[in-house]
Amino acid sequence: MDVNEFERGDSFPQSVGFRRSRREGEEGQPTRRLAYVELREIIGLSLWAGQMLLQNGASSLRTEETTHRIGTGLGCDWMDVIVTPDSLIVTATDGEDFRTKARRVVRLGANMGRITALSELGHAVAEGRADRAQVQARLRAIDAAPKDYNRWLVVFLVGLACAAFSRLFGGDWPVFGVTLVAASVAMFTRQELEKRYFNRYLVVATVAFIGGLLASGARLVTDAANVNIAIAATALLLVPGVPLINSAQDFIRGYTGNGLRRGMSGLLISLAIALGLVLAIQFAQVLTP
Amino acid sequence: MMAELGPMITILLDAFWAAVAALGFAVLFNAPRRALPAILLAGALGHATHTALVMVGVSVEIAVLAGALLIGLLGEFFQRRMRIPRVVFTVPGVIPMVPGSLAFGAMEKLLGVLTAPPDVAAELLARASVDIIHTGFILMALAVGISVPILFRHQKPAV
Repeated sequence: MDVNEFERGDSFPQSVGFRRSRREGEEGQPTRRLAYVELREIIGLSLWAGQMLLQNGASSLRTEETTHRIGTGLGCDWMDVIVTPDSLIVTATDGEDFRTKARRVVRLGANMGRITALSELGHAVAEGRADRAQVQARLRAIDAAPKDYNRWLVVFLVGLACAAFSRLFGGDWPVFGVTLVAASVAMFTRQELEKRYFNRYLVVATVAFIGGLLASGARLVTDAANVNIAIAATALLLVPGVPLINSAQDFIRGYTGNGLRRGMSGLLISLAIALGLVLAIQFAQVLTP
Repeated sequence: MMAELGPMITILLDAFWAAVAALGFAVLFNAPRRALPAILLAGALGHATHTALVMVGVSVEIAVLAGALLIGLLGEFFQRRMRIPRVVFTVPGVIPMVPGSLAFGAMEKLLGVLTAPPDVAAELLARASVDIIHTGFILMALAVGISVPILFRHQKPAV
C-alpha cells in the first residue's frame, strides 16, 4: 500500500470556494479556520500515523487516541476515527467543513519501536511541539527506520529465549541445546518466509513444522518427556502474544468487535502452530522408528 | 541451611530464565533499547512471583494472575516514567508465563485420541479437556492481570 498517497495531490474540490463564501463570518456559525487543502494534509498525516500504529501492533484505543491527537493537534476542530483491526476511517472536521478518508491496512506485524515513536509524536503534536511539516518529516523517518536489532541477533536471542523456556518447563541441558538450535533455525526460516509475504498462517505452520522436526531430534539425546519439552519450547517463538493481548485490551476498552477479530486471529495462529507440530511429530516418528 | 536456600535458588534461577525469555521477545518485537532493562525486570519479577506462589501451594491460575498484575503495574509505572507505551513492557513481560507446555500436552493427548482404542481414548480426551481448561484460564488470568491497572485509570480520555 502506498503510504504517501495523500501527497499525490488529488484535485481540489470546486465546490469549496462556494462553501467558504457562504459560511465565513456568519453570526453564530462555526467558522472555518483551515484551507480545504490544509484539511486534506491533516487527514492524510493522521491516517498515515494510524495506519502505521495498526500495522505495528497497537491496540484499538491507542490507535484511535493517537490519530485523534495528531488531527486535533494540527488544527482540526474534531477528528472522528473508526478503527477496525485492518482498516481505518477518519473524518476531520473544521467548522462546518469536513473531509473523510478510509484506508485498508495490510501487512500487520509487531514493532514496538514504531508504536513508541508514534505515541510520542501524538503527544508532541497535542502539546504544540510539532507542526504539519515536522509531523510529515517524522512520519517519514518512522516509516523508513530500520529495526533496532540486527537480524542475526534476533535469531540468536529468540533461540535463546526458547531455550530458556525449556529450562522453565523443567528440561535438562541437552534439551536446552537442542531447543536453542531448533528455535534459531525456525526463527531464521520465519524471517525468510515473512520477507516473501507468504500467507501468515502458512508461514506459522511451516515454521512450527521445521522447529518441531528439529526439536524432535532431542529423542537422540534424551527421553520422551524431555523431547516434548523441546518441541513445546521451540513452538513458543510463534506464540501470538500481540494479537491475544490486544484482543483482551480491546474487549476491556469496549471495542468488542475488534477484540473478537483479534482473538480469532490469535486462535487461528495457535491452530496453525498445532498443525505444523502434528505434521512434525508424525514425520519424526517415521524418520526415527 | 540448604533447605532454606533451595527455594530461593529455584526462584532466582526462574527469574533469570524468565528474563532471558522476555529479552528474546523484546528483541523480536523491536522494543526500544532504553526499555530493555525495564522489560527484563518486569519479566523476571512477574514470573518469579508466579513460581513462588505455586511453590507455597497457590493454584497456577491465581499465581499467574498475581504475576501478570505485577507486570501490569510495572508497565503502568514505566509508561509514566519513560513515556513508552505500556504494551512494550507488558507483552514481552508476560510471555514467559504463557502455558506452552500445557497447551502442547493437550494437543498431544487430542492426537492420541485418534489412534487409541476406545476406552483409552475416552481417558485421553478427559485429560486433554482438563489441560485445555487450565490453558484457557491461565491465558485469561494473564490478560486480565495486565489489564487491571487500566480499569482504574481516571484520566480524561482523548476521544
